Amino acid sequence: MNQDIKYAVQVKDLTLAYQEKPVLWDIDINIPEGVLMAIVGPNGAGKTTLIKSILGLLKPAAGKVEIFGKPLSKVRKRVGYVPQRSSVDWDFPTTALDVVIMGMYGLLGWFRRPGKREKNEAMKALEKVGMADFYDRQINQLSGGQQQRVFLARALVQQSDIYFMDEPFVGVDATTEKAIVNILKELRKQGKTVVVVHHDLQTLKEYFDWAFLINVRQIALGPVEEVMTDENLKLAYGGRTAFLGNTT
Amino acid sequence: MIVFDYTLKVVIAGCSILGLVSGTLGAFAVLRKQSLLGDAIAHAALPGICLGFLVTLQKSPVWIIAGAILVGWIGTLLVMTIVNNTTLKQDAALGIILSVFFGFGLVLLTLIQRLPNASQSGLESFLFGSAATMLIQDVWIMAVLGCCVLVLVALFWKEFKALSFDPSFAQSLGLPIKKLDVFLTSLTVIAIVIGLQTVGVVLMSALIIAPAAAARQWTDRLGVMVFVSSIFGASAGIVGALISAKYAHIPTGPTIVLTISTIVFVSLLFAPNRGMLWNAIQKSVSRQNIREKTMLTNLLLFSESATDPFHPHDLAALTAIGRGPARKAMAALKEKGLVVNPQADEWALTQDGLNEAKRIQKELEESTHAS
Repeated sequence: MNQDIKYAVQVKDLTLAYQEKPVLWDIDINIPEGVLMAIVGPNGAGKTTLIKSILGLLKPAAGKVEIFGKPLSKVRKRVGYVPQRSSVDWDFPTTALDVVIMGMYGLLGWFRRPGKREKNEAMKALEKVGMADFYDRQINQLSGGQQQRVFLARALVQQSDIYFMDEPFVGVDATTEKAIVNILKELRKQGKTVVVVHHDLQTLKEYFDWAFLINVRQIALGPVEEVMTDENLKLAYGGRTAFLGNTT
Repeated sequence: MIVFDYTLKVVIAGCSILGLVSGTLGAFAVLRKQSLLGDAIAHAALPGICLGFLVTLQKSPVWIIAGAILVGWIGTLLVMTIVNNTTLKQDAALGIILSVFFGFGLVLLTLIQRLPNASQSGLESFLFGSAATMLIQDVWIMAVLGCCVLVLVALFWKEFKALSFDPSFAQSLGLPIKKLDVFLTSLTVIAIVIGLQTVGVVLMSALIIAPAAAARQWTDRLGVMVFVSSIFGASAGIVGALISAKYAHIPTGPTIVLTISTIVFVSLLFAPNRGMLWNAIQKSVSRQNIREKTMLTNLLLFSESATDPFHPHDLAALTAIGRGPARKAMAALKEKGLVVNPQADEWALTQDGLNEAKRIQKELEESTHAS
């Protein structure tokens, strides 16, 4: 292993199963700092499960995760997260600005309420994603793309060094997709590491510089061109022979 | 006439406290889709009430409330444990705990009634609730517990909000989501137990669900919703208590529940934005708008084939390519000065109408391109 490379994420022998059925099998990867990386694989390949276990939201059966060389509990404040848009109820009575402010709840600590400073930061983040005009909207009045941008703004206010995003391009319009890609590239320019669960193989090369191909077991990790070979893709998608077959 | 004597004042104080607290906690329960948890907690508390009575063999409010909170809380934890550790879903877990605990409670209740001084126990009033048996010491306990619950909700406001909206994100921020979940649910247990004597175990869940469901209709802000919900709960408590004070044979629980149900009914029908009536009006307005737009663009389409854009056309022909009924739409357009009808059933664009039709067409083209 090259000692000069600094790793943002180190995953060792990670295995996770739901009732005997493996979802992740012996994942052993190092993600270098500063890459814009896509996690790709077929449905049920364990992409979401992988980032959820890295974030400590799911308990793995075995394995260890370190972020910036430390256990997650020591570096929580440096980690940002954008969950799947469909994971929450958008009819919740709250505004776009309020959702973004939630990104700062961790920094605020117990009993302290968000004030002017937090509001300003949240407005700045909304501006960055082009949603400043909608700050006072009830969130169910926003389109899918707008909701996704609010989620992104909520992660931006965390001022993290590494971001995990779960399918940010699903169900969004072309304008939002472009806006999100620009923000991803800007984050990378600032030296941040960004890990994105991604579905669309066609845009992979254009949007990302690294890729991790997974189908329950890891298939390949590295620069996009090196990972996306015919052979690897066949292993991940073709024949469904990768592992146990029924990974729907 | 209702006489506002000391007893009634005590009852009103108690009922408003129980409505206030259950309205507040109910807002969170409903938003977290845990409405039915309230039902299970209320039923599960019955054996606790009986055990609390058995400690002193008297209807001592401290022991009875302590027993209800403890057993209700154990029931809730069991539901959570079942959901987290088995393949059973929450509805099944709630059903099991509710029936097992309630059944056990009924057995204890029957046993207590066979005891020598059972006739004074009055425990069976916990089934459907009775405001009349409320004493000032009961109200004091309710007030102290209620205040504690409300203060804790205020202190942990942002954590509870994050927990209710997006628990996984909150967990990624480092919030101890499982502990907060147990904590908020425990506060809900206390809110429910506060109301058990007055409303009864069978109907108490209505006071958790109904004020919140009604309040949600009127606002899109969590803070306002919780406030309105607590006011609705308190109002229903007071009105229910007054009615059952006037007619002594009516149990308090059902009266309070009918009152809050009326509030829910009115809210579902008439609330702006979310109310059914509002939606129906909105729908009919937008249907009429679309009809008007269709007629205008139809006229434009016809006039493009003729040399004169203001040439009149037959209504039947205009309707044939568009959606009817057309006459009402045409009348509305005429009112706005966008069309004229030189003779019966012949309609033509005005200059304003022509401009408007072109604008609508452009708007349509743009929106189809964007998607």
